[in-house]
Amino acid sequence: MATAPILQITDLVKTYGSGKNKKAAVDGINLSIPEGSFYGLLGPNGAGKSTAIGCVTGTHTITSGQITVAGFDVVRDYKQARSQIGLSAQEYNINPFERTYDLLDFMGGYYGIPAKERHARIERLVKQFDLTEHIEKQFKELSGGLKRRVVLARALVHDPKLLILDEPTAGVDVEQRREIWRYLQDLNQAGKSIILTSHYLEEIELLCDQVAIINHGKIVADSSKQSYLEHGRSLEEEYLYITQQSTKKTAV
Amino acid sequence: MNWIGLYTLVRKEVTRMFRVVTQTIFAPLISATLYIFIFGTIVGSKIDEIAGVEYITFVFPGILMLNIITASFSHSSSSIFTGKYFKHIEEVLVTPFSHLEIVIGYATAGIVRGVVVAIGVLGIGLLFGAVTLSNAPLFLFYVLSVATIFSLLGMLAGLFAKNFDQLAMLTAFIITPFTYLGGIFYSLSMLPESAQFYTQLNPFFYFVDGIRSSMIGISEANVLVGLMVISGLVLGLGTLVTHLFRIGWRIRQ
Repeated sequence: MATAPILQITDLVKTYGSGKNKKAAVDGINLSIPEGSFYGLLGPNGAGKSTAIGCVTGTHTITSGQITVAGFDVVRDYKQARSQIGLSAQEYNINPFERTYDLLDFMGGYYGIPAKERHARIERLVKQFDLTEHIEKQFKELSGGLKRRVVLARALVHDPKLLILDEPTAGVDVEQRREIWRYLQDLNQAGKSIILTSHYLEEIELLCDQVAIINHGKIVADSSKQSYLEHGRSLEEEYLYITQQSTKKTAV
Repeated sequence: MNWIGLYTLVRKEVTRMFRVVTQTIFAPLISATLYIFIFGTIVGSKIDEIAGVEYITFVFPGILMLNIITASFSHSSSSIFTGKYFKHIEEVLVTPFSHLEIVIGYATAGIVRGVVVAIGVLGIGLLFGAVTLSNAPLFLFYVLSVATIFSLLGMLAGLFAKNFDQLAMLTAFIITPFTYLGGIFYSLSMLPESAQFYTQLNPFFYFVDGIRSSMIGISEANVLVGLMVISGLVLGLGTLVTHLFRIGWRIRQ
């Protein structure tokens, strides 16, 4: 039996500015991501990845098109749609003076989780992400790797169906990156749908089963990881080839 | 209604207030003490009674109002502005809050700070023998409604400001002059007739006069006009700020 997509994006357009300065950051993208997927979203800087993610999560407004998360429209049913999403943003959207524990506790509270249940979940996440020694520290006192782990734990505190990770290993050393990969694989195997953007192609190649490439605000490729590798090139080579071709087409 | 979320948002904001207690609580209390001591005790002892009461008793409600205004405005404006600056307002924008719930949450936190500071200033006023209370329910109404108005105005300022300079500009050119020219330190009757007319166009005059009338029982303004101005501002600002959150003005890209 086919499962309903966890994320459905239809004809999404997001423009900035007006008149002559009007620019489409996202230009009519369509995506259908099945539940349980580990989905990679690739693209050069400024391609529109973070803007598209912002439209899904609510940090950006939508110019036109439709987005549903687990069947809930992100504009009309925004409360239900947002309850399904856990976000680890590219830039830390965190008050640097908050303690680690409070960051998790406040986020759980925002999602309406009662105190007893919230504290039990936080305890599990703190253990899972090896944060026990750091719960009393302010966010600004943590190392890059620890910060990423806190952001991930925070994104999971309300047990979302869809986890959106925008550059989750940026600025993290190799050892800690591998540790984060292990967490993500465990989560996906436990049934969590994950969308991952990254500039580390080996990360996408290792973790994702489906990969879409976005360039100049458009989806220029969207298929299984295996199909990218069929031409005998690595994912990195294939990615470079596709983005260069699409840039040439745009220039023409 | 997301009650747990709303409670959490207020709790987070109040925690922030107590984390920087010197700035949020002690500094206004020290400045209130100095105001009461200088204008009430030193200067006030050389001034005749105003409207049948000692100068310190007359001026104290204005000092109380000044502190409520400053506390509520600065709390909500800094919450929204620093949230934009550090991007952590996104943690509220991506969670299942309605626009109204977000406004209620931030406004309540600003009101709480205004009330905490008001309690401290009242305590200091009691030490100086400056506190009288003529109508307790009306006094509570004025304290809470003025704290609400400035909490909402602070949110508006936080949304509007793109940098620290713009935030300071609003305080320096709008809040401070309107507050001081609203009759904190003087009676309307002390002004020339033309100035009396312009003072009555200043909505801040009705805040000061309202709280003064509830404390010392003397009002220089039309109480009905004052109540209409205050109720209109609470409703109007509440609607405007909720609308701005709905369209994501300067917070959603």
